[in-house]
Amino acid sequence: MWKAQVHGTRMNSAADIDTQAPSIPAAASRELLRVLLRPHRNWLYLAWLAGVGAGVATIVLAAAVAWSIHLAVIGEDSALPWHWLAVAAFAVLLRYGLQGLRDWSGQQLAFLVRGDLRRKLIANAAELGPVHLAQRGHSGAWASRYQEQVDALGGYYARYLPALGLTLAVPLVLLAAAFSQDWVAGLLLLLSAPLIPVFMALIGMGSEQIHEAQQERQNRLAGHFLDRIRGLDLLRRSLALEAARQDVSAAANDYRRLSMRVLRVAFLSSAVMEFFSAVAIGLVAIYVGFALLGFLEFGPAAQITLFSGLFVLLLAPEYFQPLRQFAQSYHDRAGAVAAASALAPLLTTGAPHPAPHGANPPPTPEEEDRSGGRGQALRHHPVEYERSPGTPPKRPGPPALQLRAVEVRYEAHAPPALVIPELSVAHGERIAVVGPSGSGKSTLLALCAGFVRAGSGSVAIAASARPFAWIGQRSHLFHGSLRENLLLGSPKRVTDADLADAMAAAGLRLDDPTLPQGLDTTIGEENRGLSGGQVQRVALARALLSGSRLWLLDEPTSALDPETESDLLTRLLEHSHARGITVLLATHQQAVYQRLERVVRLAAGRLQEQGRV
Amino acid sequence: MSDLSFLRNLFRRRRTWTAAAYLLLALTWGSAIALLALSGWFITAAALAGAGLLLGLELFTPSAGIRAAALLRTLARYGERVLGHEAVLRVLADLRGASFAAVARLPLPAQRRMRSGDLQQRLIADIDTLDGVPLRITGPLVAAGLAVLGAAGLAAWLAPWPAPLLITGLAGLTIAASALAARFGQTRSRALVGRRSRERVALLDYFGGLADLLAYRRAAAYQQDLERREREQAGALLLQERVALGADQAVQALVALTALAMLALALHWHAQGLVSAPVAVLLALMTLGLNEALSSLPGALWRSGESLEAASRLRGLGVDSADAPDTPLQDAVRPGEAPQDTDFRVEGLAVGFPGQRPLLEGLEFELVPGRPLVIHGASGIGKTTLLETLAGERPPLRGGVRLAGQAPQHWPETTRYRAIGYLPQHTPLLDESVAANLRLGMPELTDQDLWAALDTVELANPLRREGSGLDYRTGERGQRLSGGQARRLALAWLLLRDAPVVLLDEPFAGLDTELEQRILTRIRPWLEQRRVVLVTHMPERMPKDWPRIALG
Repeated sequence: MWKAQVHGTRMNSAADIDTQAPSIPAAASRELLRVLLRPHRNWLYLAWLAGVGAGVATIVLAAAVAWSIHLAVIGEDSALPWHWLAVAAFAVLLRYGLQGLRDWSGQQLAFLVRGDLRRKLIANAAELGPVHLAQRGHSGAWASRYQEQVDALGGYYARYLPALGLTLAVPLVLLAAAFSQDWVAGLLLLLSAPLIPVFMALIGMGSEQIHEAQQERQNRLAGHFLDRIRGLDLLRRSLALEAARQDVSAAANDYRRLSMRVLRVAFLSSAVMEFFSAVAIGLVAIYVGFALLGFLEFGPAAQITLFSGLFVLLLAPEYFQPLRQFAQSYHDRAGAVAAASALAPLLTTGAPHPAPHGANPPPTPEEEDRSGGRGQALRHHPVEYERSPGTPPKRPGPPALQLRAVEVRYEAHAPPALVIPELSVAHGERIAVVGPSGSGKSTLLALCAGFVRAGSGSVAIAASARPFAWIGQRSHLFHGSLRENLLLGSPKRVTDADLADAMAAAGLRLDDPTLPQGLDTTIGEENRGLSGGQVQRVALARALLSGSRLWLLDEPTSALDPETESDLLTRLLEHSHARGITVLLATHQQAVYQRLERVVRLAAGRLQEQGRV
Repeated sequence: MSDLSFLRNLFRRRRTWTAAAYLLLALTWGSAIALLALSGWFITAAALAGAGLLLGLELFTPSAGIRAAALLRTLARYGERVLGHEAVLRVLADLRGASFAAVARLPLPAQRRMRSGDLQQRLIADIDTLDGVPLRITGPLVAAGLAVLGAAGLAAWLAPWPAPLLITGLAGLTIAASALAARFGQTRSRALVGRRSRERVALLDYFGGLADLLAYRRAAAYQQDLERREREQAGALLLQERVALGADQAVQALVALTALAMLALALHWHAQGLVSAPVAVLLALMTLGLNEALSSLPGALWRSGESLEAASRLRGLGVDSADAPDTPLQDAVRPGEAPQDTDFRVEGLAVGFPGQRPLLEGLEFELVPGRPLVIHGASGIGKTTLLETLAGERPPLRGGVRLAGQAPQHWPETTRYRAIGYLPQHTPLLDESVAANLRLGMPELTDQDLWAALDTVELANPLRREGSGLDYRTGERGQRLSGGQARRLALAWLLLRDAPVVLLDEPFAGLDTELEQRILTRIRPWLEQRRVVLVTHMPERMPKDWPRIALG
């Protein structure tokens, strides 16, 4: 039992999902990175083009400078070579302009990709619905994904991808230029370049191993501080604050030591790169110098001039520059792959229900017939719903909800979470959905709300049942004033008097000490200042104001004490009765369901019996 | 104290390390410049010697110099990175300790605000943001200054006065541009941070309130609002990055153009016979070599606002960077003495939030051993506020609580928490072993003590079965326990504190009736030896002979 709790249900919590992310195959995250690139890849090509153009401009610059010096030092004419210096100045502007364009395109690419991804996340969240959404982390975790993890992809597109292409192309162009002047110098550069990736790979592999071995400890230490801040009250009441302070310092220093181990390896790999590039530049300089002195008699050394020597020397550092940039952006890739592997599973709709067209047959003519006239058409889910006209229909009318042979599964191969052979709910009917916890009550309500979809069977919802009111176990109040919260479901203008009426009906007092500014009281994070009962009352008043004809209530009073619960239920039932509102109320308390006229009993996801009280 | 002096004090603590890292960075750049300049000098001299225009070129020194510069650059770079990061990470490790202490010292209402996950995350991000100050701002500034001074000095020695002037002019221009960038960038960075936290609020509403939004068909409107925010936020961020990168390229272009000007000047002087040809080339390449040192400055300063903003928020929490990192938290040192007399009475007490109508008023009672007081009433009526007031964590609005004749909040914390054991409604456990949670502040407890308490709350057997026993980790926010298990572990924590006055807020929440009754039977003698207030929804489940107060 203990094991089951630890490894079963508890693993669904948000923090675990994020830490589990690395187990998702890296292929999925790479695929996501590729898919996101596709619509905007022209910006990447532009970045590459600009980078290569900058490389060509660099060659022109080196040649113009070397030629100016050659003319002025060796040439017969002692006048300044103004026109060559002017060419060099032009090449400078061209080069840095093109490099700017390269960065600009990379940034643009990252901007567009992140925008796409965020829109997808938002749209996908609505598509998933609140039930599947909550299974994949609490709202704070989703907000972090939207902000931080999407940001973590930026460097991959802005820097890594442009550098990846240029790290090959630009050195090749420069190498060709060097070979055209002196193949020995070119060879020196050519030979030193491949050594760099080889050494870096060796060191990089070592760092990856260190990283994997330390990851868990590092994560825990990184969370240690946060954990102690959360636990401040407990620490204070345990008189353990001072011990905790020492503990925090010790953990922070452990974390530092671990980080430094990883960093030292990373620095070593960049030192290797710098060393080879410095040695190569030095070798080129010494080779060129000795050749110019006439000490080297072989190959092209005999023909070397001040121009070709300086030209090759000026190109040497540029030759290694793209490699260095690539090495610097390499960690961008690692971060992006990690973020993408956390994001990839969220971008599939994930709920393993088959495609709506395959599984949900189109509405039968019979259904259309039974729907009757006047915009009350029973439509097949999911479709656009028409707004219902004003007056509540009389009972018995066409059903508000009709479920036939419905099956819902959360996992493709798991047993169904809900099986309903037949369930029909008339307009204005008020039904208690009862059963022990885990019996599928919430799933049935979520199905009626459209938050989850049936894998098979048909769900028909009358147009008048949209929009509906939803009150869950813990209602969400939005940041803003009480007034804004009450008006969430009310598209039309509502006077303050109406608001006060609705609040009174829900049992909320405007002169309550927790509402110092009345309707304009700001409600902050975690429903600041309001008790659980008040929050549920605000949700009830919101439902009343919305004029919805269908109320879906998922244990709306479970967080309340018996008196408050009974009082709130009385109000709920009075209002729904007076206005002919259709109500589905999930509960496991007899005291509650005895007060509704019809009971639907669920056990282990199956509809057991329905009966009138 | 300003944000700047906060940062200065903070990094001053490791100033030797930091200074060494700065010097090494200057050495890195210096040797990179030397490598390029010396190579240019050598090639030109060799070409002249080869053509018979220069006699007696000494080969050993320049080629050794080139090799030395190549090696030095690598070593200095590595040393600078290791030293610099070591220093910064040490400072930040100290800062974590100091921030924890500062938050722990905050007055309780301010500390309660830190319960918000958002504020906690921000505190952590703020501390991490400060690493940019020495690594990307002061370090490069100091090292660039040294590199420029070196280059200008060499130029003054080798060439007429316009050469050093050109180099200092270039550096001055770059630094002026950086100062401007800092000024404009800071306001933008701060605005960006503000906009981001507003976006987060909107995101929490969207993801948290999706059910209501879908039900009332408001999801599309909220999506549009989020998209608009994203466009604004990402657009501002894009501009921020573009300016930084654009400035980098602009400075590099400026350095390259200055190098060309230097070349033209030097070649002119060469024609006049003022400098030799190799020196002319050296001057130009030396100027060009400054681009690594100068190019990152404006961009880094443009973004310096992020660090300043972080510093100002940390200051707002009362974190003082001048504090020694190991100042102990005074009130929190055990062992404190529990008062001998634990007489506990309440007279004419009104509780609630300051400046608002009291939630409860006119309370009168006295706690007597053997007669635990059961308090019940509707949700939201103020039961939790009452217990907080009794525990001395919240001042009463009127009237008084007397613990041994004195208001609890006037007792030092050590004395108060030895006398009062308070089990609040929600107890976030630490992400530690069961033993560590139970031993908080009481390291002297033996394993037998812990097992005995766990047995009382029926947690001992599940823990034994699980295998890791007392070492079982509770997980972040107690996630590796069920709600009922976490509640029972908190109850065991309270039993071990063994305080003479005990305040319990829904001690059996999340437990089924049978388990609740079994535990209650077991702890009843313990409770009846103490002065106890027990708040509950279900007074009928408590022993019939305990006195009751119904609120509301």
